[in-house]
Amino acid sequence: MTNAMSDEELMAQVRGGVGEMLGALFERYHVALFNFFYKLTGERSTSEDLVQEVFLRILKYRHSYRPDTGFRAWMYQIARNARVDLLRRRHPEVSWEPEMSGSFQPDDLAQENQQAALLHAALLRLPEEKREVLVLSRFQDLKYEQIAEIIGCELSTVKVKVHRALQELRDIFQKLETGKLPSKTGLKGAGIRPGSGSLQ
Amino acid sequence: MKCEEVAQLLPDYLQGGAAAEQAAGVREHIVECASCQADVDMWQRLGTLPDQQPGTALRSRFDALLQSYQEGRWEKANLAKEHGKFLDLHALAYWIRTPAVSVAWAAVLVLCGFFAGRYLDRDTNSAQQVAAMRQELKTTQQLMVLSMLQQQSASERLQGVSFSMQEHNADPKILEALLHTLRYDNSVDVRLASLDVLSHYGNRPDVHSGLIDALQAQQSPMVQVALIDVLVQLHRPDTLDHFKQLQQSPTLDPTVRKRLDWGIQQLS
Repeated sequence: MTNAMSDEELMAQVRGGVGEMLGALFERYHVALFNFFYKLTGERSTSEDLVQEVFLRILKYRHSYRPDTGFRAWMYQIARNARVDLLRRRHPEVSWEPEMSGSFQPDDLAQENQQAALLHAALLRLPEEKREVLVLSRFQDLKYEQIAEIIGCELSTVKVKVHRALQELRDIFQKLETGKLPSKTGLKGAGIRPGSGSLQ
Repeated sequence: MKCEEVAQLLPDYLQGGAAAEQAAGVREHIVECASCQADVDMWQRLGTLPDQQPGTALRSRFDALLQSYQEGRWEKANLAKEHGKFLDLHALAYWIRTPAVSVAWAAVLVLCGFFAGRYLDRDTNSAQQVAAMRQELKTTQQLMVLSMLQQQSASERLQGVSFSMQEHNADPKILEALLHTLRYDNSVDVRLASLDVLSHYGNRPDVHSGLIDALQAQQSPMVQVALIDVLVQLHRPDTLDHFKQLQQSPTLDPTVRKRLDWGIQQLS
């Protein structure tokens, strides 16, 4: 029965207190969400924790869901916030800016084949904001209009960001491939590089 | 079409959302333009990144979440949290599990054991037994410091460092752990605190050479400057050579270089 229902109908039921409908939404989206986080972080266990956090927040904030809005955009907004909160918790000393660069390669990438690992490493080196927009548009099956809604900016801005992100990724990937950039940096597991250059 | 026009159309083209006529224009352009072609290639290559499957634990965790929600426990747990009930059982359990409390608890148990032992053995109480107890207490303290230095949170590691200061007789294991902290801890505060403790033992050769090593490996200028100060104060003859060696490093921070020059002046 739940198969025939739209995401929005299911979520309206969850909002009304029918918790088991969340199970159907979990079936639909947990793998997609896991891959969203995994592409952004390269860390399996972090990604699993974040998926759990998203569904917890969906329950917690179910009353704030407006039935006339798209469920997926709402879910990805929650997903983004969950991730930013996690980064803030991990690195309270760093003011979290979306421009922050990832630039590290977690051990989990070793499980991917070489080409994919290199590509993923390049993706992780993109600044936060560009990486996110690229992952949303390329892998999460979201239209630019939906992404604009999720990240809260103009449609034209999203398109420009996607194009710039793609160009930068191309550049990083090329450098990684030709060995001009080390594919692994010393900041294992650190997740981010705090602002360098200051006297810390 | 020019690259600028293509750039505007490209995102839609890539997602398959461009109108037929515009898509044809883009296709025509990328045959001749290697750069725009490379953008399209990159997009396609990204698509080859394989999807991963999450572990099975994810589903069981979700099921547990859903079950607790349906049984109403979830609501209660949340409600309790929101009302900020102080003596909430979960909060208490969490509090008991925090490292500082565990350490304090371990210390209480050791002391209880010590006094209970003394009480039970009061007839045969010999100096030897007391010495053995003292040794045990010392070992426990040592373990506490070592475990605190391993903690996730910087403030707990900081506590570990200050706890290590209560030991008047330096233990080599603790000194080794402090040297490790000085080199590898990711909090500058913790590194500085461990340097503070280590500076009291700077006359020991192992600590001294550890400090020299740390100076060379150190990334943070603030810790480097503090290290130079400590080493100058210790005034050992072999320091000068190491300072001069470090002076050659091209990537040295200007503040550190200044301090280093001053240090060399002091030592020579």
